[in-house]
Amino acid sequence: MISRVAESAFWLARYLERVETMARMMYVNINFVLDVNLEGVPRWWPLVLAVGAEKEFRAGTPEDKRDDAETVQEFLCWNRDQSTSIASSLDHARENARTIRETISLEMWESLNGLSLWFNGPEGRKRYQRERFEFYQHLRDQCVLFQGFALDTMLQSEAYHFMRLGTSLERAGQTARLLDVKYHALGPTGRSIEWPREIAQWQAILRSCSAIEPYFKVAQGELSGPRVAEFLLFEKEFPHSVTRSLEQARKFLQLVRPRGSSAERSARGLAELRSKLDAMSMDEVLQVGLHKTLLWIVDSVAAICAAVQEEYFLAPTQVRRHRTAPRRKLSRAA
Amino acid sequence: MAKKARVKATSDGSERIFSGYKPLASTYDEYFSEAGKVRPQASTIVQHLENLGRDEIRERMRLAHASFLEGGITFSVYSDARGGERVFPFDPLPRVIDPAEWKSVEQGLKQRVEALNIFLNDIYSKQKILKDKKIPSAIVLGSPVYRPEVKGIRPRNGNYIYVAGIDLIRDQQGTYRVLEDNVRVPSGVSYVLENRIVMKKTFPRLFDRHSVVPVEEYPNRLRRAVTSAVPGRGANLVVLTPGVFNSAYFEHSFLARRMGCDLVEGRDLAVVKKRVYAKTTRGLQPVDSIYRRIDDDFIDPLAFRKDSMLGVPGLVEAYARGNVVLANGIGNGVADDKAIYPFVPDIIRYYLGEEPLLEQVPTYICERKSDRQYTTENIDKLVVKAVNEAGGYGMLVGPKASKKERAEFVRKVNANPRNYIAQPLVELSASPTWTPRGPAPRRLDLRPFVLRGNDTWVLPGGLTRVALVRGSYVVNSSQGGGSKDTWVLEARKS
Repeated sequence: MISRVAESAFWLARYLERVETMARMMYVNINFVLDVNLEGVPRWWPLVLAVGAEKEFRAGTPEDKRDDAETVQEFLCWNRDQSTSIASSLDHARENARTIRETISLEMWESLNGLSLWFNGPEGRKRYQRERFEFYQHLRDQCVLFQGFALDTMLQSEAYHFMRLGTSLERAGQTARLLDVKYHALGPTGRSIEWPREIAQWQAILRSCSAIEPYFKVAQGELSGPRVAEFLLFEKEFPHSVTRSLEQARKFLQLVRPRGSSAERSARGLAELRSKLDAMSMDEVLQVGLHKTLLWIVDSVAAICAAVQEEYFLAPTQVRRHRTAPRRKLSRAA
Repeated sequence: MAKKARVKATSDGSERIFSGYKPLASTYDEYFSEAGKVRPQASTIVQHLENLGRDEIRERMRLAHASFLEGGITFSVYSDARGGERVFPFDPLPRVIDPAEWKSVEQGLKQRVEALNIFLNDIYSKQKILKDKKIPSAIVLGSPVYRPEVKGIRPRNGNYIYVAGIDLIRDQQGTYRVLEDNVRVPSGVSYVLENRIVMKKTFPRLFDRHSVVPVEEYPNRLRRAVTSAVPGRGANLVVLTPGVFNSAYFEHSFLARRMGCDLVEGRDLAVVKKRVYAKTTRGLQPVDSIYRRIDDDFIDPLAFRKDSMLGVPGLVEAYARGNVVLANGIGNGVADDKAIYPFVPDIIRYYLGEEPLLEQVPTYICERKSDRQYTTENIDKLVVKAVNEAGGYGMLVGPKASKKERAEFVRKVNANPRNYIAQPLVELSASPTWTPRGPAPRRLDLRPFVLRGNDTWVLPGGLTRVALVRGSYVVNSSQGGGSKDTWVLEARKS
């Protein structure tokens, strides 16, 4: 397929995943703040840190407003100068969709365009002001609806595979970021006994990944930081876990990768990240430090995305010849 | 005149919808005859709308608007600094065309486009028509859109015009006349198809009560036409767009979608060893045919404008070698130049040996001294047009213009006569069109689309554009125009 179109499909999916994650995170944080109403515990500021918007936020916000619920939400939802805000991500998602309308299905386009009109029109703002929960829920639901339409109405060919590749990589990074909210709010995680507020925070994080019930099915009643982190990092059967997302990414990268392809860096980077993670136990993660591990995951995923960009989307210059014969293995030393 | 239709009221006492409708003086009305009687082809519509009532019609118009907006069926306005997208205003009162009437229009269009295609073949080869002095050489060869670069290149199958949009108007008597030809990159067909969908959705019963000739096969026909010069099956076709900021981007995307082919920008194509390729995730893939929606000027920086960022370097060379089909061909502008237009009847006679079936509008060519003199002396009665502008720009409607505007145009005409033509103001036909106060007469034109591949096919009806501003003669979307669904009725089987 046309490289530019593949790129738009990839980014469309990534932006929408960001919208969805952000909506989930805010939704849950409102609840969390209600549960844990303690002096001296930052409530909204950690979200700014988790999405990596610290610098922009500091620049435009007075010191005493940095942990203010409305200020942070306004910033993360509506601020178009901030590249990770819901407004920016949604704009980018729609613009990417608009440039590849011939590739996505009518239903996908209509649902995304409808969401964008709603968000940017009076209806969205009104809902934001009056029914904050419903506002975030609607955003999340519409993103999921879009995914559903993609699965149900789009040709399951290369463009779809690039979209899913985008979703999976973005999700791996976002889950790592969400887990890191705990560090930004309450500090490092270890095996020691945790405060109730820490437990509440872990629950909130589970909820923002729609993971509460799946978690309890697996954890059998235990609720602790290390266990939650382990679940969100390593649970192979949970759709939002890091390893599961990376496994999906591997699958879709393989589908878009032509045989005999010279696109090595992305595939190799992904394989490396996966094998290192697979080899790690939760104890080792804690030894290294959860925060440090999460940062490493976020950076590695970003590097893989950059490699995909370079290997698949930057203009090819060679006329593609018929597939070259498989390289003969070098004979071992005679 | 329309008194008969005016006085009646409905049983609940509310005013009837068409009771205040007054056809324009000296103008052909598409719904009502001069005696104020409903024309037979419009009678069911009028009756149905009366039954629906104003509120219901307004509600359905709201739905129609929402449907366009949600579907992203929009055009971009260049002058809008925000690069905004707008919905092309849709009027729910369809234009209806009688089948017998349409048949003769269709014949006339085929004849005209055929002749123009032969003309292009001739102009870019032997130029017999110039040697026989049927048209002044200076006007043809002096045209800014004549492309000497492609002289001697014969496109595959000799096909220059794959897609034509011929703008028609109806005069006071209701006679169809050609107002201008568009054989470069005519646009608007996506609205024909979308208008039909929305019409069916919002006025299903009204639609149901008529037998309307369908328009939905256009994209298939287009695909067949633009790949007709590619031997074998499974031609690799792409639609080439200037990009997402182009005002017709929606249409480019729409047609690619419906033809099931890739939509590409110039930067997605590359020319290697005089062959055209698409840059794909799996390397360069060959392209056989390009339905291009980029003007000649911008299509290849090596051949035409050097500063074009939209085009594909080397494309013209590949085309010249016969390695790729371009639809439409390069240099077509010389056939729809407004200064050539007055000669089209002669062009038809010369190449086909037939009398033209469609009338056109008398035209003064400002390059001719006598015509120029007439034009500048009678500018208050004439419409003056720059010959190579579109979208209703570079135009003066004399009777509507201020003294200052007229003087300005006289100056322009004298400064660059080749660039201008003048025509008497034709009282374009009008049709009832919905306004906040109910239906009112608004002027129309019609752009039928003609496809030439292995055979020639005319899309039944075409795009009806309507001047929504009261008293206006300008129907362009960029200047307050809207559109209507256009119904060609099925011929009665008897």
